[in-house]
Amino acid sequence: MTSGLPIEVGPGLASPQLLFRSLDDEPRSLDPLLTNDLPGQRIADDLFEGLTTIDMSGKAVPGVATRWETSGDGLTWLFHLRPDARWSNGAPVTAADFVFSWRREVDPRTASASAQGLEPIAHALEIASGKAPIETLGVEAVDEHTLKVQLIEPTPYLLDLLAQQYLFPVYEPVIRQYGDAWTRPEHLIGNGAFVLHERIINDRIVLDKSPTYWGAAGVRLQRVTYYVLPDQGEQAQRFLSGAIDWADSFGTNQRIWLRQKLGDQVVNAPYFAAYFLGFGFNLPPFRGNLPLRRALVMALDREPMVRSMKQGMYEPAYTLMPPLPGYRLPRPAWADLPDERRHALARELYHQAGYSDSHPLRVRLEVPSKGPDSRHFFEAIVATWHSVLGADVQLYESEFKVLSQERVLHKLPLFVDSWIGDYPDPKTFMQLRVTGDGNNNDDYSNPAYDRLIEAADREGDQERRYALFEQAEQILDDDAAYIPLYYYATRHLIKPYLRGWQSNVMDRNPSRYMYLLEHREP
Amino acid sequence: MLRYALQRFLTAIPTLLLVATLAFVLLHAAPGGPFDDDRNMLPSIRHSIEAQYHLDEPLWRQYLRFLSDLAHGDLGPSFQYRGVSVNEMLAQGLPVDLTVGLSALALALVIGGTLGVTAALRHRTLQDRALVALALTGISTPVFVIAPLLVLVFSVQLHWLPAGDWVAGSPGHLLLPALSLALPYIAYLTRIMRASTLEVLGSAFIRTAHAKGLGGTAVLWRHVLRATLTPLVSFLGPAIAGLITGSIVVESVFGLPGIGRYFLIGALNRDYTLVIGVTIVYGAAIILCNLLADLCYAWIDPRVRLR
Repeated sequence: MTSGLPIEVGPGLASPQLLFRSLDDEPRSLDPLLTNDLPGQRIADDLFEGLTTIDMSGKAVPGVATRWETSGDGLTWLFHLRPDARWSNGAPVTAADFVFSWRREVDPRTASASAQGLEPIAHALEIASGKAPIETLGVEAVDEHTLKVQLIEPTPYLLDLLAQQYLFPVYEPVIRQYGDAWTRPEHLIGNGAFVLHERIINDRIVLDKSPTYWGAAGVRLQRVTYYVLPDQGEQAQRFLSGAIDWADSFGTNQRIWLRQKLGDQVVNAPYFAAYFLGFGFNLPPFRGNLPLRRALVMALDREPMVRSMKQGMYEPAYTLMPPLPGYRLPRPAWADLPDERRHALARELYHQAGYSDSHPLRVRLEVPSKGPDSRHFFEAIVATWHSVLGADVQLYESEFKVLSQERVLHKLPLFVDSWIGDYPDPKTFMQLRVTGDGNNNDDYSNPAYDRLIEAADREGDQERRYALFEQAEQILDDDAAYIPLYYYATRHLIKPYLRGWQSNVMDRNPSRYMYLLEHREP
Repeated sequence: MLRYALQRFLTAIPTLLLVATLAFVLLHAAPGGPFDDDRNMLPSIRHSIEAQYHLDEPLWRQYLRFLSDLAHGDLGPSFQYRGVSVNEMLAQGLPVDLTVGLSALALALVIGGTLGVTAALRHRTLQDRALVALALTGISTPVFVIAPLLVLVFSVQLHWLPAGDWVAGSPGHLLLPALSLALPYIAYLTRIMRASTLEVLGSAFIRTAHAKGLGGTAVLWRHVLRATLTPLVSFLGPAIAGLITGSIVVESVFGLPGIGRYFLIGALNRDYTLVIGVTIVYGAAIILCNLLADLCYAWIDPRVRLR
């Protein structure tokens, strides 16, 4: 096959600079305040910019704000906005724009699924719950270029949070004039490195370089075309045929042959996302049955299962939170036991829980229907429970929407769950098991755990804070609060002549850093 | 005939209404809703978003609202893509389906017709048998096998044609999707045209034509082909509807922005309005094509009387 031959890459810049990328799905909205899906975040990163933004490695760096200072208690922040920040119609980006946007985000009438993300900002949750007027939000324009933000707790990850799309500014006049239709190409006004040129739903989104962006001099791409390709097989196909330079993902079962064919163009890197199974803590048979939960956790052979079935792409997990640079993941003691010993302990617990060969555990494992690839993995889990414990667990596949609904209604005793971190901080994962949290699908509750998370919220010192999260993670393991399976990895296909990107755990890769070298494809 | 057409047209309205109602009921009866997601919303936000789409109202009121909007030609806002209406999505997607479907039809008629007549004229020769075998293969190979194979050969290996993408008015981008969609129809048409040509060739009026001294070409064009049209039309009515509505697989393989893809994605996302909108368009296409086929009968064969 011709595309298997090496691509000749020269030292000079290609001309013209036109990038073709893919998206896994159509963004639900191009309004950064309304979008909470990954394709939407990709587009928002190109069209808008927050107080902070991310560098190539995903780290928060100055964006519209050039500098900031914080009060001694860490609750009041002053942000100084760059005077040369412009909307794509040439109007200056001001502190008032941020006030308007953040109020709009938490306004229940906006109905944004991301409103909770503003939780650290004073009164955000009360406003979103309809219990306080939107004017009470802890954000204030001191003058045109100074923004004051009031927090309810020191938020060590605030700078990362500010680079999230739901805290980006939006342009008030255009929203007042066009309502929901303001995101159409003919109306949309942004403050990012690119402007919207064309959008065909479920087909493509075309962006052009913005001449008014303050950093326009450093942006080399003239045009970025995103193709919406929900079929991962099709993404690989388009990449192989040379139609796209960056494929956002490929099927897990394609990795080995793609690697043989494309070598380093297949890029896998750790991703801040985890896959696990949840228990219904208020439902039989798991309610109050710690030995049974522990038996199911310990019986699984994660290493061989994840490594072989996911083609070496994902890492077996022993914690709720995936690896994060600087954070030491606690490793439970049982993880390093020899297999036979671990299986024997699991069996012991299983019997202790009141189950045996003549009275096996019978329960349904609810999984999303995503095709044979994902089914085989669950079959392996169920088979392991059967061979190690003698448990009779039935696989039950439902559509994603059905599974999501039943999860929220807390109707499922044993189900698949997953989480992608919002910002690079343990909090985004650890809040999932806090009593009463909207995403605590397990109904798990342990006051000791809640206290640790609360203490971490108040702790300003990163090392001590991380230590609190590590202790909390230990409690989850002691309680067998969930069944860890694996940590995700990003999986992209990237042409060797495309430069200006770095793998990062948040998997955010803004187009404004990217450029194309001269190249010749055979 | 005009009166007949009008009558058929009027009976189509309750049929369509029934189709739309069924779609409405089935979708709302399906478990899981448009706003169930892997992230849970605050109850207040959820309430607000459901109110925006009137999901908080009793179902009968939602249905009346839907009917009233439908009567005004408004299919409502998409539940999945905020700020986008179903009308504009259909307006964007339908031309793609029509272009691909009608191109496939043209390919099927020209290639299938030629092959079928050729096979009949060379009856019981090696050529005839080869064409029959080829047609059988075409009928038994599903589109989801043909399409990726065509991509593998013409796009990935030979780099002659794009592997997907849609550029309005570009024949290069149209060729592979249209061909994938047309192949089974080419095969069907080859068989139909072969069979009906053979039947006509053996009939008395053809012998008479020959006896009058008409040449082979004239007999073929003036008498044989005209007589083969009736079975062709009865096939074409449903076939055209099938070509326009049946492109879901082709759209997925080639990444075409047609409404078949909307239908599939919309159903998974519980995008109620979008799925109902596509269902109505598909229903209308099927009814219309069948009506046209019936009208064509009368035009071709004066013995058929429409009442």
